Amino acid sequence: MTQIPEDRLLAYFEGALGAEDARALAERLPDEPQARALLEVWARQNAAITALYAPVAEEPVPERLLAVTRRRPPTIATPAPLLRIAAMLGLLALGGAGGWLAADLRPDAPRALAEAAIAAHETYVVEVIHPVEVEATQAAHLTGWISNRLGHSIAPPDFAALGFRLMGGRVLPGDTGAAALFMYEDDLGRRVTLYVAPETGGAQTAFQFAEQGDMQSFYWMDGTLNYAVVGDIPRDALRRIALAAYDQLI
Amino acid sequence: MTLLDEIEAAIPALRRYAHGLIGDRDAADDLVQDCLERAVAKRHHWRRDGPARAWMFRILLNCHRDNLRRRPRHLTAVEDLAVEPALPGDQEAHLALTEVQAAIAALPHDQREALLLVALDGMSFDEAAATLGIPKGTLMSRLGRAREKLRVQTGRERPARPTPKRQTP
Repeated sequence: MTQIPEDRLLAYFEGALGAEDARALAERLPDEPQARALLEVWARQNAAITALYAPVAEEPVPERLLAVTRRRPPTIATPAPLLRIAAMLGLLALGGAGGWLAADLRPDAPRALAEAAIAAHETYVVEVIHPVEVEATQAAHLTGWISNRLGHSIAPPDFAALGFRLMGGRVLPGDTGAAALFMYEDDLGRRVTLYVAPETGGAQTAFQFAEQGDMQSFYWMDGTLNYAVVGDIPRDALRRIALAAYDQLI
Repeated sequence: MTLLDEIEAAIPALRRYAHGLIGDRDAADDLVQDCLERAVAKRHHWRRDGPARAWMFRILLNCHRDNLRRRPRHLTAVEDLAVEPALPGDQEAHLALTEVQAAIAALPHDQREALLLVALDGMSFDEAAATLGIPKGTLMSRLGRAREKLRVQTGRERPARPTPKRQTP
């Protein structure tokens, strides 16, 4: 058996040891034939992996891939300031006549999203017996079922690193079709929910924050789906959960 | 350098990584295309909290996992792929590439993702752990297990056991 622990040897091999530790380990190597042999095996593995897959990176990038970054699709990241001002000035009162503006000029859509998410949260978070429809223990069923109902592939994000574990989820009626509600709980019994609803207008927004009584919500729209994280926990904790959700749902 | 330029600059590395993840070159480029479409569509959501390259890798991995979820049969098929240990003694200087390829394809997804970020893309432990969204310790154990499986499946005897060789003067 090698006397150098394997994880330490691996850290040395990958260049993850500090300079001093690396030097100390290297000095022991002449007396450690097994460690040296393992280092050789790993080096051969790297050589094989490089030989197998690296050449692709040297080839010209196919046209179809370059086309994606070069065609610059028209997007509405956030409503253009002028449009927002126009909306504030009451041009929206033109109503149905301006149907072609609908995707850009729905200043109420994000707020409706937050309200729906908070209403769903308040309805179900107090449930003791049936807080969720499908429990997290049936993870595959939960993901498949909700993805089917929403028409988008959605897996509940994992907030375990933030102390919240998934309890399960349910399907709800929403303004734009079936919506999903995932519920999470921490060791103190505090619950947060993630509301996901399809977006029919293609609207995109950055992170926004809303408060209603004790309830707080971070919400955003990414053009195909709308998301809202709701909870009665400190705003910063809720923001971290929303960021984790965002990262896992891109 | 605009974000679109940065996205474009990452394409070769993304193709290389996708090729390692999937094996099949066309399917790998399909995955990269999905990733690029998603990145371009969501570029206004990029939070500039790190290099765009790392963000692209995260998106690629998410696209890859979405595909795996949609095709669970594929997932089983890969995991069950049996690899015959190579016959000993036929390779010293380098490993037979087809064996390594098969052994990589037989790794559990999380181990393959970790191994290729480090061994192929050259990411540091910290970068790879951040890209995968896992603690550094978890990354190291995945990497260790992946390398061990690779070693066993490519027919290398463990260089362990005290050898009597030293006794010969």
